[in-house]
Amino acid sequence: MEISTPIADALTRYLDLSSLQVKVTAQNMANVDTPDYRTVGFDFAAEMSRSLDDLEQHAGGGDSPSASEPRLGLVDGLLERPDGNNVSMDREGMKMAEAQLQFRVGTELLKHEFARTMDAIHEDQR
Amino acid sequence: MNLFEVMEVSGSALQAERIRAEVVAANMANAETTRTPEGGPFRRHHVVFTSMAPQQSFGSQFAEQLGQPDQPFGGVRVSAVTEDQGEPLRRYDPGHPDADPNGYVAYPDINPLTEMVDLMGATRAYGLNSSAVEAEKNMLSSSLEILR
Repeated sequence: MEISTPIADALTRYLDLSSLQVKVTAQNMANVDTPDYRTVGFDFAAEMSRSLDDLEQHAGGGDSPSASEPRLGLVDGLLERPDGNNVSMDREGMKMAEAQLQFRVGTELLKHEFARTMDAIHEDQR
Repeated sequence: MNLFEVMEVSGSALQAERIRAEVVAANMANAETTRTPEGGPFRRHHVVFTSMAPQQSFGSQFAEQLGQPDQPFGGVRVSAVTEDQGEPLRRYDPGHPDADPNGYVAYPDINPLTEMVDLMGATRAYGLNSSAVEAEKNMLSSSLEILR
């Protein structure tokens, strides 16, 4: 019998991507003063829809699909400083706040999803 | 995916920025120093930041053993503290014990304004990274909330 729901699987991917966003942002923040360092990032929406496609493809099969590696790349269109570094403190601060909220939303939704499963398990004991 | 590694990345930046602030403080403290163990006036110090290769932490090795290698993330480190090789400032002060035969004293070429700007940069970067640590802490505790 399957306990995890498709929504829980999708939320897991969402949390994975949110924590990846935090990692990438933390790395950029750490290197804010490193000469020649370039800002690293990824397209959250594109990676999320790719993850969901993966999930759908494996929906029929019994084994849980393995998460495909998100594609990281250098971020274009940022102002480069004379030392060759293009990290923007404001962009990274925004990204961090955004990722934090996303993670919060993801954990809340996942908590509710598990609470529903628990309700179903306890239903006969009432 | 291991959130503790992210804290290590941010922690490395906190450490590096603190060293930078220390170097700036030493520069400001020694703005008028004419004697050093190496001889001659104090020379301005610079820090050189280098992005760090990802470390082999417990989490990354565990993930590797499980066949799910993590994507590597690196922090920052101070690779060197270099001395400014510029000429010292020469000021006419014949009464000074370190004055040369012409009455000129070699003082360090340290501009308090430059140092203050550098210190402000270090403080802002430190604040940025400590807010990142705060964010990571919140995320860890909210993921623990799922278990409740």
